[in-house]
Amino acid sequence: MDEREPRRTPIFFMSVIVFMLIMSLAALLLAIEAYLVQGKLEMINIILSASALSLSLYMFIQIRRRPVSLGFEMLKVSTVIRCLKCDYKNVREFEKGDYILRNAGSCPKCGGTLIIYSIFRESKEKD
Amino acid sequence: MESAVDMQVILQVSADWIFQLIWILAFIIIWVYGQRIQTILTLKEIEGSLSRLKYMRDRGRQIAISTIKEIGKPAEDPTARVDRLLEHVDIEPVSLDPTGIIRRLEHIIDVRDFRFKEEVRQMAPQADETQINNIANVLEAALALNHVYKVVRHYYLMGKKTLSFYVILQIQMLLPLIMRESEAFVNALKAFTLGQPIGDGAGALVAARLMHDKEKRLIAQDTVVSETQIEGRRTYVIKAKGPGGNVGKPGEAIKQILEEEEGKVALIIIIDAAQKLEGEKAGDVAEGVGVAIGGPGVDKYKVEEVAAKYKVPLRAILIKESIEDVVSTMRKEIVDGVEEAIERVKRIIRESTNEGDTVIIAGIGNTIGIAQ
Repeated sequence: MDEREPRRTPIFFMSVIVFMLIMSLAALLLAIEAYLVQGKLEMINIILSASALSLSLYMFIQIRRRPVSLGFEMLKVSTVIRCLKCDYKNVREFEKGDYILRNAGSCPKCGGTLIIYSIFRESKEKD
Repeated sequence: MESAVDMQVILQVSADWIFQLIWILAFIIIWVYGQRIQTILTLKEIEGSLSRLKYMRDRGRQIAISTIKEIGKPAEDPTARVDRLLEHVDIEPVSLDPTGIIRRLEHIIDVRDFRFKEEVRQMAPQADETQINNIANVLEAALALNHVYKVVRHYYLMGKKTLSFYVILQIQMLLPLIMRESEAFVNALKAFTLGQPIGDGAGALVAARLMHDKEKRLIAQDTVVSETQIEGRRTYVIKAKGPGGNVGKPGEAIKQILEEEEGKVALIIIIDAAQKLEGEKAGDVAEGVGVAIGGPGVDKYKVEEVAAKYKVPLRAILIKESIEDVVSTMRKEIVDGVEEAIERVKRIIRESTNEGDTVIIAGIGNTIGIAQ
C-alpha cells in the first residue's frame, strides 16, 4: 500500500503556467519582430517575456515538488538485549511483543539472565 | 512595395498595442480581484492539507479497527463501536466557581478513562490488561486525528462559504503546526499498535531502571511503587504500571507516601519528558525546581499541595524532546538522555540529602512498552 499522499493534478496551476508561457512567447516574438523590422530594442516586451517565463518556471517547480510523506511508513526500530551479569549485548530488529525489562532468555556467554534493555528508533531528523 | 512595408508596420504596432492592453488588463484584474484570487489560492492550499488530514484520519480509524479485530478477536464487527468512540466528547467542569474544580476534573477524567477501557473490553474480549491499555491508546490517537480533521474542515468550509480572507488566514497560519501534530499522532498509532515505548515514557523508563528487580506494590490506580536503596538513602520509586499504555496517578502515589511517612521525606525528585524549543537537541537533560507533571493538572496540584503542607523540596529533571517525539517510538537520543537523567538523580540525591534520609523519585509519562 502506498503510504504517501496521492498526487493530484493541479489543473488550475497548469492552466496558469500554459497561459504565462503563451504570453511570454508572444512578448518575445513581438520584441524580435520590432528588432527585425524597426531595428529597435523593445525593453518592455523583453522584460515582460522574461518575467512571465520565470514565473511559469517557478510555478512548475513548485507543483513538481515530491509528494509529502504522511508518516505511515514503517520505521526501523531496534531492540537491545543485555545480560544482567556480564557485558553481553545483542541488538536486533524489534519484534512484536518486545518491551523494556522483559526477560529475553539466558546469556550464551555466562548463562545469566538476559533482559530487553532498551527499544529505540534511529532517527534521521535534525534537531 | 512601400505600402506593403507600411501595412506590416501598422500591423506590428496594432499587435503590440493589443498585447500591451492584455497585460494592462491582467494587472487591473490582479489589482481589483487580488485578494479574492489569494483567498481562492489559500483555500486550495487548505484543501490539500485537508485531504492529507482526511487520509490520516481514515487510516487511523482503519488501524484501530484492525488492531481490535486482530488482538481482541471480537464476535461481532467493532466498526460501529469504534465510530461512536471516535466522536466522543469530553465536557470540562464549570469554572465560574473554581472551588473544588480539581476534584471535579479528576472525577471526569476517571469516568472517561473507565468508559474508554470498558468499551475496549467489550470490543476486544480476548485482550489482556496490557493490550486493553494499548488499544485504548490507539483509539485516543485515532480520536485526536478525527477531531483535528473536523476542526480544520469546519474552518475550511466556513471560509469557503463566507469567502472571508481573515477566516481562511487563521487556519492557514496554524496549518503547519496542525500538520506536525497530526503526523505525531500517526506515529503514535504505529507505536501504540506494536506496544513500543514512546518519547513521553522517558521519565517512566528512568524509574523502571531504578526499580528493576526490586519488590513492587500497587499504590494508586495503575501506579506502582518500589522501596529501594540509592546512594545509601531509603528511596521510594514511583511509575505507572507497565508495559501497557498507562500514565497512572503519580500525584496520588506521592501524596499517599508522604502521608504514610508523615511528611518525613527529605526530597522529591520528579522526572518527565518536556517539550524542547527549536534549536535544542532531543535527549538533552535539564534540571529545575517544581512539579514536572504535564497533563490536565490534577497530579501536579496534588503534589504541590502535599509538598507545601510538609515543606518538602521539589526537584525536577526534564528530558527534552519535540512534539513529534513525545508520541512516537522513543528515539536513540532520548534513550541516551534517560541514562544521563539516572546519573543526575543520583547526583542530586548525594548533594541534597544525607545518608539514611527518605527520598521519593517519580518517573512520569506513558509507560507503554516499559515494564518495571
